[in-house]
This record gives sequence, structure tokens and C-alpha cells, in this order.
Amino acid sequence: MNTIFTPPLYIQRYEFVIDFVKKNKPKKVVDLGCNDCTLLRKLKFHKEIELLAGLDIDCAVIRAKMYELAPIPTDYLQPGDHPLTIELYQGSVTERDPRTKGFDLVTSIELIEHLQLEDVDRFTEVVFGYMAPVAAIISTPNADFNPLLPGLTGFRHYDHKFEWTKVEFQTWALKVCREFGYVVAFTGVGQIPAQEESIGFCSQIGVFQIDRSGGDAPRLQNNVLYNVVYPSLCDSNIFQRTLVNEVLYWAETLKREWLEEIRFEVENEEVGGEGRTDMGLYREGQSVCVPLVRLCSCPRVQALSGTVQHLTKFLLENSRVQLTNDGTAVVLVDNDDEDLEWDENCDNTGTGPFLVSSVENEDWETELGQ
Amino acid sequence: MTGRARARSRGRARGQETAAPGVTPFQETAREAPPSEGELVGRGRQRTAPGAVSSEAVIQISAGFQQVKIGERGGRRRDFHDAGINTRQAMEHVRESKSGFSGSPIELKANFFKILSRPQWVLYQYHVDFKPVMESRRLRSALMYQHEETLGKARTFDGALLFLPHKLHNTTVLYSETRMGEKVQITVTLTNELPPTSPVCLQFYNIIFRRVLRMLNMQQIGRHYYNPTDPLNIPQHRLTIWPGFTSTILQYESNIMLCTDVSHKVLRSETVLSFMMGLRQQSGDQRFPEACTKELVGLIVLTKYNNKTYRIDDIAWDHTPNNTFKRGDSEISFKDYYKAQYGLDITDGNQVLLISHMKKIGPSGGPPQGPAMLVPEFCYLTGLTDKMRADFNIMKDLSTHTRLTPEQREGRLNRFVGNIHQNTEAQTELNTWGLNFDNKLLSLTGRVLPSERIVQGSRTYNPWQADWSKEMRGIPLISCRPLENWLMFFTRRNNDVAQALLQTLNKVSTPLGIRMQRAIICVGFLPKVVVVLPSNRKDKYDSVKKYLCVDCPTPSQCVVARTLCKQQALMTVATKIALQINCKMGGELWSVEIPLKQLMIVGIDCYHDTAAGKRSIGALVASLNQGMSRWFSKCVLQNRGQEIMDGLKVALQGALKAWLKHNNCLPSRIIVYRDGVGDGMLQSVVNYEVPQIMEPKLTLVVVKKRISSRFFARIDGKLTNPPPGTCIDTEVTRPEWYDFFIVSQAVRMGSVSPTHYNVVYDSSGLKPDHMQRLTYKLCHMYYNWQGIIRVPAPCQYAHKLAFLVGQSIHREPNMNLDDFLYYL
Repeated sequence: MNTIFTPPLYIQRYEFVIDFVKKNKPKKVVDLGCNDCTLLRKLKFHKEIELLAGLDIDCAVIRAKMYELAPIPTDYLQPGDHPLTIELYQGSVTERDPRTKGFDLVTSIELIEHLQLEDVDRFTEVVFGYMAPVAAIISTPNADFNPLLPGLTGFRHYDHKFEWTKVEFQTWALKVCREFGYVVAFTGVGQIPAQEESIGFCSQIGVFQIDRSGGDAPRLQNNVLYNVVYPSLCDSNIFQRTLVNEVLYWAETLKREWLEEIRFEVENEEVGGEGRTDMGLYREGQSVCVPLVRLCSCPRVQALSGTVQHLTKFLLENSRVQLTNDGTAVVLVDNDDEDLEWDENCDNTGTGPFLVSSVENEDWETELGQ
Repeated sequence: MTGRARARSRGRARGQETAAPGVTPFQETAREAPPSEGELVGRGRQRTAPGAVSSEAVIQISAGFQQVKIGERGGRRRDFHDAGINTRQAMEHVRESKSGFSGSPIELKANFFKILSRPQWVLYQYHVDFKPVMESRRLRSALMYQHEETLGKARTFDGALLFLPHKLHNTTVLYSETRMGEKVQITVTLTNELPPTSPVCLQFYNIIFRRVLRMLNMQQIGRHYYNPTDPLNIPQHRLTIWPGFTSTILQYESNIMLCTDVSHKVLRSETVLSFMMGLRQQSGDQRFPEACTKELVGLIVLTKYNNKTYRIDDIAWDHTPNNTFKRGDSEISFKDYYKAQYGLDITDGNQVLLISHMKKIGPSGGPPQGPAMLVPEFCYLTGLTDKMRADFNIMKDLSTHTRLTPEQREGRLNRFVGNIHQNTEAQTELNTWGLNFDNKLLSLTGRVLPSERIVQGSRTYNPWQADWSKEMRGIPLISCRPLENWLMFFTRRNNDVAQALLQTLNKVSTPLGIRMQRAIICVGFLPKVVVVLPSNRKDKYDSVKKYLCVDCPTPSQCVVARTLCKQQALMTVATKIALQINCKMGGELWSVEIPLKQLMIVGIDCYHDTAAGKRSIGALVASLNQGMSRWFSKCVLQNRGQEIMDGLKVALQGALKAWLKHNNCLPSRIIVYRDGVGDGMLQSVVNYEVPQIMEPKLTLVVVKKRISSRFFARIDGKLTNPPPGTCIDTEVTRPEWYDFFIVSQAVRMGSVSPTHYNVVYDSSGLKPDHMQRLTYKLCHMYYNWQGIIRVPAPCQYAHKLAFLVGQSIHREPNMNLDDFLYYL
């Protein structure tokens, strides 16, 4: 049915939400009636969002795909700069649920038409009165458009309890605004070329924005179906690990380059040799010291630590990196490359006297009787 | 390193992520293997009382494994466990028992956990029909979801087959409605009651187990699961190691068990783009394309935006992210696509793209989809490159992290199973299906085979340990070739070490019985060459070997100058060199007693040369005498798509001719040890290779080193590695095979890996006990190591030969060298 639109209408609805997210950068987003989490899977790529939640009454459909919201290996390999938590709840949109309070954006895509009309009132009260998000996107079919859909009789889906005309939707939305202090903008997705302008969109959308500043209510958490925290640099352990790995990598790289340069100079009998310090590295006994100032010029280290002072502070707290006494340089041991063979079979040693004495003078042929 | 680079691009579609650009997204359709009714238990209406399964039936059941496939998401999969290949029933002499008896018993633990299911546990299989027919598998699943009250929570549905742990009426009719309001009639018909040992159940256990691992927040990469939250880092090389587990649930000899082993995944915390930039800096613009292809092609990458792995097959030098591809009806650039689809920005618009050929079959069995184009900036490398593997320091760093002692290994395995038992979500899942795992490692009894006496000329000795370099000191070798007319090459800088080597060689060769002339320059005929290489640069070694193996067939010995630098080690090094030179010229070092006459042992291995267009090199090594001290070696180069055995058949004919020349008769029996058979390739060995070498008395043994079975022995109250010679032929073997494990080598660090031997064909009637002992004897016969090795010597020789040809020579060596171990 929706194939008369390209891209399909459901994609257009998701894209509408994504565009809104890109423009308004909400930090906390909840999708009511998240079904199999298709919208959430698209939204998780948007770095602005720190808490992404989904609510559905049917826990089976959530469970079907929920692991696809889990971080993938590369999320661990290079943790993002921003935190992200994804939570999925089982619950009803007509009941007050403290977990759904305090969101920046609530989306309800093609949901309300599945509710009985009396439940719509409760839904309205719960969403706008109780949850009180900063913004809400509510979409529902536009009954005015139905005559344009070929072969359609009755509602678009067997489970629809109603389908509103443009006027009905707008009446409801304006009432919401009056009662709960919101402003609404009407729009939609899905138009056919050469249709009458007054019919409007196939899916009508109301974008609500709160008209006052709402305080964040404390959120309780219970009966969460799924909760996953993405690795991010906001986690101090992950940050420390990432920073130390970067520092050690660059320190080793600089050390190698420096040693190679020295070797080159020695081989070519150039004057100066070890005395050259334009790379800033120097020797202290058996070790090579890499100044933090030098490390800080590596883009990734700088991006992570900011200033040399910060870098010093971070590294002093960490035991994996050894600093010079004055704390200005990383100390690396200059281990001469060892020359040992690497052979799988080189590992032999006895496990002690467990060998059983051998059998002598056997002839297996005779036992075969041939 | 276990599991290194094993995650070949088997990235299977995980859910409904959009396919990689350049690949048309497709719907996975359920593919059901055509039922082969009648002959297979576990298919069709099988209604015998569950639980009472005869051993005969178990074999058949296991054999029918691959006929029926269930998958959480359908699709075709390779059978990595080679199940369904029943080779044992054709061998009469092992039908009753395949166990040996010699040696002394030893109590062992193995990394296996028994699966416990409720008594009378049965899995019910239903066929589901939709009327009208629903094309989309997703839709079919969605429609089924509407009937949870009837079907229950625990269920597996792949679009056509439904599995439930409880029984419905024989035929249940349900009604659903699609979003479009279309009324659908769903008929659920009971087709089968599956006992716990049925092949479908085994596959099913594996699926459930995978779900459980996901609940423990483990990440799937390739076939196995890893824990990303506690990585080990080696920052110098930008390596990240994730600890994880390999797991397989199979029907083993007497029980269904979970075989699980600790595995480590090596990942790299840098993108392919930054790797390429580093490479460009190192190699310069000129050599960059070549270096890049060499380093990258064949590696597996992970992407930033989906949970798939790709194998890099090529590099598209003429493509950048600004190029476009067809998406639906319109053209879109890669840059815009990733921005729109995943909110990812490409910072370097000039990077070239990577090409990955998709092996997966297209929708509804159509041709494979086109190649996927990948953006280096969004790809992360996994595994190690050959260059890294050759780097001693990297390998040392890695092994300190990944080598686990038997006690550490046991601890990790117990903790892993403990975690499953403690995780409530996992327990709920297992309980709804009525399944659980034993909480302790399997205990079993193995045997330590009698130790072998080493025969060296007129003297014999019993090595005290798995190494007899001490015992053999000062004893003359079986036969020695005089070192006459030989040359030594070295650079001016290496003059000192070369002279030292010459002196020491002189000193050590007399007690061994080697007569050595002074090294002289001889123009024209060069019977033997020693080359001292200034560094271990591969290209120099390659050209020396290429010249001396192909153009001018001469046994040669290369030594890297650095190995000669250490004064105190020079005696040992020189002894090894002297022994090696002697072997290369056709000398014999030692032997063991082989109580079979006119027996020819053949070793086969292959090497896959990824650089030269996926060419394979097959090597065949065949014994020429009773003492297994002389060998005939032949190498064949095979192009892609050709069966390795076609060429080896010719090589085997050559081996028989050589045998005839040496013995004036033909061998009365041939035993072939076939190495290099990958997971899932057993079927082709059995069906294709056995007929190729049909001889009256032939035994074909498939040798496998990369296995996840591990054994531990408790000695003096401590969990240690089993002693060399430990043989296991019960409990953990497979009922449908004539197979056994032998732990032949001894290791100083970490846990020892047993070797798996699978006798797939045997018309010689050799007793299992003799088969096992012969195999163990052959592990003593590798002349490049004065000790017991992991595989029979012919396998190791064949491996060495294939490796030399694949890595350095790239051509067939000159046939004048066939009778010598010139590749040692």
C-alpha cells in the first residue's frame, strides 16, 4: 500500500524524526511503541543522544531484536567521545511510568490510532501532563488522504481503532497545547504529485514544543528489559586506558624514529651523533626519555588530554606509564632486540620421569596373521 | 595463538542492517534442506521412545546431522564440525572397538562439559504453513509472535520450521492479521519428536548456547564470542586482545557435551586508513601500492557501522568516497550514504576504497552479490599480518598474555561456566528449554604410550625426556655423507663469525661421524653450499633458495650472522647445523623400531599462497626405507579451483617408483597422514582423495592440529600438561569416526595442544593400538628437532617443503633434489 511513495512512507517518517534530532540535538529520547526497535537502531548513530529509550507493551517484539542495539566490537576499539545508554522498557503509554519522565524528545510514530479513544485521553495526559518532555513528535494517519490510496476500504490497518482527519487531529493537538502549555507545528510526510493541497499529507505529524521550562524529575528504574551502556571516553577507566595506550604508542614510535636517526648518523659517521636533541628525546642510563611536551604534539594525545599539565596529571595517576622524577617525560626501557628463534617446536622440555619403559622386539605383522 | 586469522570472512548477516553499499539488500528466505525421509533418524515421523537410543542409532543420528538445518535466521552455513561423515562403519575391524590397550592408564581432565537435560526431554518439531503464502520471513515471524499464549515463550522459528519444548495438538490452526488487514491462516503441524541426541537437537543446543553468550554481553566475531569489557592492550603495536571462548556442542562418544576452550582475539585499535598512512610513510609513494596490497589483502576487517566482518580481497585504487553507487533507483556517493545512514563523517575524501567479494549466495539461491566497497576510515583490522607474526617482540608480548598454564586455563573455563550458572537471564533461557550444563570439567582416563627407544647406528638409548639432544651427544649417526667440495659464502663484514663457524663445525662433526673437507671454491660442480646471511632479510634468503633449488640443484644451508655471534652458543648452533647439513645431503640421524615390513608412510600437507593469486602448494613426502630415515619429497603447484590431490597422485607415483628403486619391490601397505584439511573439508577428502590413491592396503589418516580439545593431568596434586605419549580414544572422540588424540610433544610454557588423528579409510586391518603407537613412533622421526614433535615426521616434512616453496621459491624445485631433505 505504501509503495506509492518513494522512499516508503515508514522510512520517510523515520527520516523526519532523524532530521528533527539533527537539528534540535535532544540529549534524551524515548520512542513510545518502539516495536522491534527499528527507529532506535537508526537513532543510535546520532552522537547528540545520551539516553535512548524505547517503550512497548509487547515484550516479545522488543526481545526479538533488542540485542541488535548492543555495541559492536568497534565501539570498544575506539570508544566514542559521548556517552550513550540504551534502555528498553515494557510498559503502557497510558500509564504513568516514572522512568519516562524528563526526556527531551518523545516520539510516538503511528501509535495513537491503535488506542481506544478513551485511552487517547489518558495517553495525552500521561505524555504531556506527566512525562512533560521538551518536545514531542506525534504522527498518525490522515483520514482525508484515504480516498487517494488505491483499493483501500475502511482503515489502513485492522488494529486501527480510528483514523483522524486533518481537522480532527489539529483540534486534538490544539487542545493539548492549551491544557499542557505546548506549541504545535503541523506537518507530515507523503504527498502525491497533483493531489489537492488541502488534503495534506498521508501521515500527519504534530511537532510539540514545551512552552515553559520544566524541571527534571528524579528518574527511578525498574522492570527494565534491556540496559546497555556504550563504552565512551566519559567513563574514566576507558578514558585512562585509551590515553595510556595512545601515549605509549606514540612514545614508542618516537623512540624508534629517534634511535633509527642516531644509528643512521653513526653509520654515516656524521658529527653530533647522540648529542642532537631536536626531537627532544634523550637518554638516561639504559632508558630513553620522551618529553610530554613532545607527546602532546601528537594530534590524538592532544585531543584526549588538552594541555601538557592535564597530561602530566593523568599520567601521574597511572601505574602503567613510568615518568621521570620531575614528571616531564615518559621513561621507556631500551631493550636490545633479542635474537631467539621462534619455532613452534622449540618448547620441548620434559615433564618429568613419567615415561613408561619401552616394549622390545615386537612384530606387528605376525599379530595381523598375514 | 589459537584462532588466529580463523575468522575468515564468515560475517553473517546480523539482522536487518542495511547491506554494505554496492550490495543490493536482500531478504533472507528460509532455506530448508529437502527431507530425505526413511534413511535418517531424526527426520520424518520418528516416534520411538526417547532416551533409549542404541549406539547404532547414535551413529546414524550423528551422521544425519547435516541433512537438516535450522538457523535463527535461516541461510546456508558450512558445517565446521564435519558432522554427518560416517567413516567408521565402513571399517569392520573398528566397528566394535577403536581403543588401544598398551601403556599405563592416567587420570585426565578435559575441557568438556556434559549437557544435562530433563529426563524424557523431547524437542517437538512443527511445520508451519501460511495461507495465503507469505513471502517475507520477517512477516511470518511477526505473525507467529501474535500467538505467544498458544506457543509459549520458548520457541525457535526460522520461517517454516517451529521448535517447541512442549507438545501442541497434532494440527493447530491459528489466525492472524497483517498490518494491511489481510487475514492469514496459520497451520502448525507436528512433524517430529526429536530425542536429545538427534542432530537437529544438537544444532539447536548450539543456537541456544549462542543466545546465552550474548546474554553474558559477549561479542561475536567470526565464529566465536569474546569479552570486550576487559581488554589486554599492547599499545606499542596498537593491539587489543579480547579474551573469549570457542564453543561447540556435539555428540561425542558417549555424551552430548559442550567443548569450550579459551581463545583470544587479536584486534587493532587503529583504522585501516591510519594503518595505510603509516605504511605510505614507511614505504614511500612509489612502493606504497605494492606494499599496501601485500599487507592488506587477505586480512579481515570489522566496520564501524555494522556487526559484520569482511575479508579484504582487493584495493580499488581508482575509487574514493566521492564515487557513487546505485541505491534503489538513484546514485549516491559513499560520503553522503554514510552521513545519511549512520551519521558518520568521512574526513579524508581522497582515501582509496577496499573491495570485499561476498561469498554469500544471493537471494533465492541466485548468483553471489557484487563486491562490497569499504571505506578504510571505517574499518578496523583484526588478527596479525605475516610481518607481525615474524616479529619476535610482538609474538613475545602476545604470548605473555595469551599463553595460559593448565591451571589458569582450567580456572578460566570454570569461571565461564560459573558465570552461565549465575546469570539469571541465561538460566531463565536454559530453564525454559529444560537444559543445563554440568558445572565441572569432564574426567576421563587416558593412556601413556610406552616410550620409544631411539636407535642410532649400533647404539640405542631410551630418552629420559621428550628431547634427546643430550643423549645423542658423542654418538655417531646412522649414516653420514662426507662434506666434500663445498663452498661458504659470506660478506666481508661477517668474516670473523664465518671463520668461527668453520672451526666449530670441524670440531663437532668428527664425533658425529661426519668427514669434513676444508671449504673450497669449486668452479662448475657445487655439491654443497653454506651461506652466511648478514641479516634475516627475506628477499635475500628467497633468492638464494630459489637459485639453489630450481636453477642449480644444490643442497644449501643458510645461517643468519647474528645467530653465530654468541660465543657460548656456537657449539650448539654448529652441532645443529652439522646435523642439518648431513640430513640435506641424504645422511640419516637416528631411527625407532618399526615392527611392520614393507611399509610406506606418506605425509601430505598444503600451503595456501595468498600473494600469488590464491595458489595452493601441495607437498608429498614418502618414506623409502624400513627405518623411516630416508624420504622422497615432491611438491606440486596448484591453481585456484584445482583439487590438490590431482597433482599429488602423480607425486605418489613418483614415490612408488623411488621405493621400487630403493627396495627392488613395491610397498605392501601404505599409510597416508594427511595434514592441512580445514574445518568442513573432511567430506571432500573422504569422497575424492581416497579413491585417487586406492591401493590394496591403504590407510588414510587425517591429522588435525588446530583443535579446541585440551587435556590436563593431575600430577602431584597440581594440574599440569599430560606427559608426552598420552593417548585418548574414549569419551571425547566421535562415535561415527575411528579417531584418537595423542599428546606427543612437551611444552615449557602454556598448555600443550593434543593432535587429533582421524582414520578415515583403512583396508590394512591394523589394530587401533598399533595405529596409535605407529603414529607416536613417527612423531620421533623429525630430523630438525632432537625430540618428539606434535605431528608425525612426514607431516612436518611436507609442511616444511610446502612452506619453503610457497614462501620463497614459488616454483617447482628441481627433481634432482627429490631424494633429499633439502628443505629442512
